[in-house]
Amino acid sequence: MTKSQRNHIDLPALVVVLTLMVMSLGVVYSASATWALEKFGESNRLLNLHALKVLLGIVALFVGMTIDYKKYRKLTKPAVIIAIAFLAFTLVLGGEVKGATRWLQFGGLSLQPSEFAKFALLFHLCSLIAVKGEAIREFKKGFLPMMIWIGSVAALVLLQPNFSTGSMIILMSLVMLFISRAKISHILATLGAALPLLVLVALTRPHVIQRINSFLYGTPGQGSNNYQLYQGIIGFGNGGLFGVGPGESVQRDFFLPESYGDFVFSIVGEEYGLVGTISFMLLFLIFMLRGFKIAKFARDEFGRLLAIGITSVVTMYSCVNAGVTLGILPTTGLPMPFVSYGGSSLLFTSFAVGVLLNISAQTDLHPRAPKVTTPSVSAPGLEDQTVKVY
Amino acid sequence: MTNQPTPPPNQPIAAGAETPRPPFNGRLLVLKLAFAAFFVIIAARLVQIQVIESSKYQERAKRQYEQKIVLPAVRGNIYDRHNNVLVSNSMFVSFAADPKLIGDDAAVVAEKFSYVFGKPRAFYLSKLRSTTSSGTPRRFVWLERRVRPEVAKRIEAAKLPGIVVLNEPKRLYHYDDVAGTLVGFTDVDNKGISGIELQFDKYLRGKNGSVIMQRDGLGRARPSVDYPRIEPRDGHHLILTIDLAYQSIVEEELKRGVERFKADAALAVMMNPKTGEILALANYPGLNPNDLGSYDIHAARNRVITDIFEPGSVFKVVTAAVAYEHQLVAPDQRFNAENGTYKVALPGGKFRLIKDSHEHAWLSFQEAIEQSSNIVMAKVSLTIGPERLYRQARDFGFGILTGIDLPGEVRGRLKKPFEWSGTTLQTLSYGYEIAATPLQIAAAYAAVANKGVLVQPYIVSRVIDASGEVIFQQSPQTIRRVISAETAELLTRAFEGVVQNGTAKDVRIYGVRIAGKTGTSRKVVDGKYGTGSYTASFAGFFPVEDPQVVCLVMIDNPRAISYYGGLTSGPIFRSIAERMINTTGRFKKIPRTTTNALQAANDISVPDVRTLPLSLAGKILEGHGLRSEKIGEGQIVVRQVPEPGKRLSRGEKVRLLLETENATTASADGTVVPDLRGMSLRRAINRLVVEDFDVKVRGSGVVIDQLPAPGTRVNPGSAIHLLCEPRPTFSAVLY
Repeated sequence: MTKSQRNHIDLPALVVVLTLMVMSLGVVYSASATWALEKFGESNRLLNLHALKVLLGIVALFVGMTIDYKKYRKLTKPAVIIAIAFLAFTLVLGGEVKGATRWLQFGGLSLQPSEFAKFALLFHLCSLIAVKGEAIREFKKGFLPMMIWIGSVAALVLLQPNFSTGSMIILMSLVMLFISRAKISHILATLGAALPLLVLVALTRPHVIQRINSFLYGTPGQGSNNYQLYQGIIGFGNGGLFGVGPGESVQRDFFLPESYGDFVFSIVGEEYGLVGTISFMLLFLIFMLRGFKIAKFARDEFGRLLAIGITSVVTMYSCVNAGVTLGILPTTGLPMPFVSYGGSSLLFTSFAVGVLLNISAQTDLHPRAPKVTTPSVSAPGLEDQTVKVY
Repeated sequence: MTNQPTPPPNQPIAAGAETPRPPFNGRLLVLKLAFAAFFVIIAARLVQIQVIESSKYQERAKRQYEQKIVLPAVRGNIYDRHNNVLVSNSMFVSFAADPKLIGDDAAVVAEKFSYVFGKPRAFYLSKLRSTTSSGTPRRFVWLERRVRPEVAKRIEAAKLPGIVVLNEPKRLYHYDDVAGTLVGFTDVDNKGISGIELQFDKYLRGKNGSVIMQRDGLGRARPSVDYPRIEPRDGHHLILTIDLAYQSIVEEELKRGVERFKADAALAVMMNPKTGEILALANYPGLNPNDLGSYDIHAARNRVITDIFEPGSVFKVVTAAVAYEHQLVAPDQRFNAENGTYKVALPGGKFRLIKDSHEHAWLSFQEAIEQSSNIVMAKVSLTIGPERLYRQARDFGFGILTGIDLPGEVRGRLKKPFEWSGTTLQTLSYGYEIAATPLQIAAAYAAVANKGVLVQPYIVSRVIDASGEVIFQQSPQTIRRVISAETAELLTRAFEGVVQNGTAKDVRIYGVRIAGKTGTSRKVVDGKYGTGSYTASFAGFFPVEDPQVVCLVMIDNPRAISYYGGLTSGPIFRSIAERMINTTGRFKKIPRTTTNALQAANDISVPDVRTLPLSLAGKILEGHGLRSEKIGEGQIVVRQVPEPGKRLSRGEKVRLLLETENATTASADGTVVPDLRGMSLRRAINRLVVEDFDVKVRGSGVVIDQLPAPGTRVNPGSAIHLLCEPRPTFSAVLY
C-alpha cells in the first residue's frame, strides 16, 4: 500500500471536500436548530448526529485514500453481486420510510443499500470498461454485459421505489458508457427501450407524477407539492447578495421543511447570499476540475475511468441538487454531497473521494521527489502509441 | 510506473490496463462542457433569484414571518369648558383569525362564535374559508370587531387556536346626541370623519405604536429582537369653549321648539361676544355618535356653518348700524311707514311693493327697528347708498369665512355693488339678496354686544397632551372694529326696544335686560319665494349692561302657532336664557329654584354613600365633584339627601345624615319623634318646641328630611335635626 502512495495526493481536491464538510457543520446546525429544539428539546441534537457522520465520512475518506485502488478490480464483481443481494433483501425486509423501502438496519445504523449499490456498480463498470477496451463498441461482447449489470441494479433501486437514486444510477451509467466510447447508437437504442419501462415505473408511482406535474405546470407557492420548493426559493431570494447572516435564517423556522436535508442549499443561500451559493458551486467546480485532472494523469485505464466516474457522480449530485432547489429540475430527494445532513450518502461519497485521492497519489501530479519528469507533456504522444497497442 | 497492479484474474487482456489508454478527449470534453453548462445555468439562476428578484422574495419572506401588531394609541378626550368629559374611549375587544392556522378547526371556531354572538355559523365559516385572489388561504380576517369586554371573555375562555385577540379602544360619547353634530364622530378605525373629531384629528389621534412579531412556519409568534417595540403616543385632549350645561339646555329647547311649532328643524349658536368663545352650538335633529346607524347622513351636517340662509330682518342690524354710524338718521327721526304697503317706482314705469307685517302710519327710526319695518329700512337705504351698505355688511363679516375651527364652513354670498340690480339696495336693507350662515349672523350681533368690535368665533380653547402639558392655547382674536361704541350703544338700545316694546315681547324675562332682533324670511322654494315656508330667527344678547351671551336661534319652516321669528325663535331663545339664568345665577339675582337648577345641568348621578364612614363618604362625593354637608353627630352615614341616583350639578351639596348617640341609646319609654317632613319650617319648629325637643335647623323653607327618623323613640329633650330647602318657586315672572 505504501508503495502505491509514492507521490502526494491531490491536495486541492482534499481541501475542497474537507472545506465542504466543515462548512456543512455550520449550515446543518443553523438549518436544523429550530427543528431539533422543537423535536428533541435541544437545538444541537441534529448537529451532533451530523458531526458524527461527518467524522465517519472523514474516516471513510482516509480509508479510501489509503487502500490501493487497483485492489478493487477483483472485488468489484462480488461487490455488485452483494449489492444486488442487499437490494433484493431490502425490498423484502427493509424498513418502510415514506412509502419506500430503502433502509437496511445494521444494529443501530441504518444504511441505504442503494448508495452502496451505486458505487459498487460504478466501480464494476470501470473495471469492465478497462478490461474490454475497444470491445465495448461491440454490442454482444461489450455493451450487453454492462447493460445487464446496470439494468439489474437500476431496476432494483427503482422498485424500492427510489426514483431519484435510480435515475442517478442510470445517468451515471450513461456517462460511463459515453466516456468509454460505447456506440452512441447502442446507448440510444437502449435508452429507447428503457424509456417506456421507466415511464411505466414512474406512472405507478403517484408521487413521481405529482412532482413532474408540479414542476411542469405548477406555479411556485401553490399546492402542497412544491411548497418545499417555493419556500426554498424564498430562502434563496431572502438571502439576496450577501445573505441575512449566519444563524439568521428565518426559512428554517418551519417554513422550509427538512431545511437541513435536501434543501440545505437554500439555507446556504439565505444566510450567506449569492456570495455563499456561488462559493459553494465554485468549490464543486474546483472539485470537478481536479477530478478530471486526476483522471487525465491516472496511471491506468481503471484509475482514469474511476476518477471520471467518481468526479462525475459528485458533480452530478451537486448540480442536480442545486438545480432542484432552484426549481430548474423536478423535485427529487437527492442530497447535496458533503453538505446535506445525511448518512449513507455521505459515508459512501466520502469513501469514493478517498479512492479518487488514492488515484491522484499514484499519478505524477504531485511528485514526492522534487525533480521527477512528468509524463503530462508527452501525453498526446502516449495517446497515439497506446491506441496502436490496442 | 514501478508498481504493477495485479491483473484481474477474470480478465485475460488485463495487461492492456497497465498503460493508460488514450484519453477519450472528444467525449470527455462533451461531458465537461455539459457540466460546465449546468454550472453556468445554476449560477445564472442564482443571480436571477438572489439579485434580480431578490426584493420580491424578501417581501414574501417578510410577509410570512413578520407580523406587525399595532399598539393602538388612545385617542384624546374632549372636554367642555368646565372639564366635563364629553368624549372619551372605552376598551373593546376585537377578534381576528388566521384561517390558515385554523384550518380544519374552522367549524369549531364558527360554532363557538355563532353561539356567543348569535350570527349564523355560515357567516364565520365564509370568512374563515376566504382565500386571496390567488387561491391560498388568507392569513388575517376580522371575525368580530368592538365587542364588549364581558362578552369577549366568553370567547377568550374557549382558547380557540389561530384566533388573534386585540384590544381596541372605541370612542365613547358620554352624552349621546348632546353636541353630537358639533363633536362629530370617527370611523371604525378611530379616524375622525366629521365635526371636531375631523378638524382636530391630528391632535386627537396620537400615533399608533407597533411591535413586530416574528412567526415561524407553525404560526407561532414571538416579539422580534430586530425591531424595537414602538410605544404608542396617546392623542392630545381638547378642551372646548362649549359649556355642557348651556349646550344641553339649548338642545332640549330646540327639540321642544321644533315639536311645539311643528318645524322641520332648528339650530342655535351661542357665543361670548367679548372673546368669541362658542358656548353652545346645536342642530336639531342632531345625531348620536354612539349610534350612527339610525341617523340620516344629513344630520351630520353642522348647519350653523355649512348652510346659508337669507337672514331677513335680523340683517337690519347692518342697515341700522351704517345709518347710525354715519349719522344719517337719529333714533327719534320719524318716517312715513306708508301703512304697511309701499310702492317703489322702478325704471320703466313699473312698481314694486314692499310690505310690512304690521301696519303703521308714522314711525321713529327706533320704532321702525322695534316693529321691524321693511318700508322704513328701504327708505333709509336710499340715503345710505350701495357702497356704504355693502362695506358695512362686509365689515360685519358677511360673505367672509368667520374662521371658526370647524370643518366645512361656507362663506355665504354678499354681492358686490356692481352686481346689484336696481332694487338690491332696498331689498338688502331688510335682509334679502344675501346669503349668510347662522354663525355669521351671530358674530355680527356679537360685534354689537362687544361695543362694535368683531371677534373671531372659536370652539377649542386648549389642546393638552396626555400628561396635561398645554400644546396649544387659543386666545381671543379681534378681527376689526366694525362700528363705533356709540353706534353699538344706539343699536343695543334699539334692540332692547325690540324685546321691550316690539316684535320680540315674548322674549322678555323679568329682571334681565335682553336686546335682540327678530327675523322672518321667506324660504326660496324651487327658485321662488314660497308663501308657506319661512325661516324664523331671533338674534339677541344679554344682560344688556354687560353682555355675556349672544345667541341666535333659527327655526326652519314652523307650521304651527306662528311663523314669525318673534313668536317662534323668540320664545325658544327666552326658554334657553331663562334656564341659563336660573342655572348659574350669573346674569341676574333672582330666587333660585331647585327644580330648574336640577334640570339644567344635572350631569352627576349621586353615588350611594349610605352605611359608609363619614370621611369616606365625603371623599367619594368629592370624587364625583359634589360637596358634602354632615348633619347630626356620629361617624356613619345613615341617610343621604338627595337619594342615590338623583342627578345634581357639579359643586352641589349632598347632605349626609349621621347616626346620633341618642338614637342608639334611646330607651323604650322615650318620646316618639313626629314626622315633620313636608311641613314649613315655622310649623315644624312650633310642633317640636311644644314637645320639648331641642331643634337644630339647617337651611330654610320646607322640611325635606329629619334626624332621627319619624317614629324613633328618643329621650325627652333630644336634639332633632331638620333639613330644609327653599320652597319651589317659578323661576321668572313672564309678561
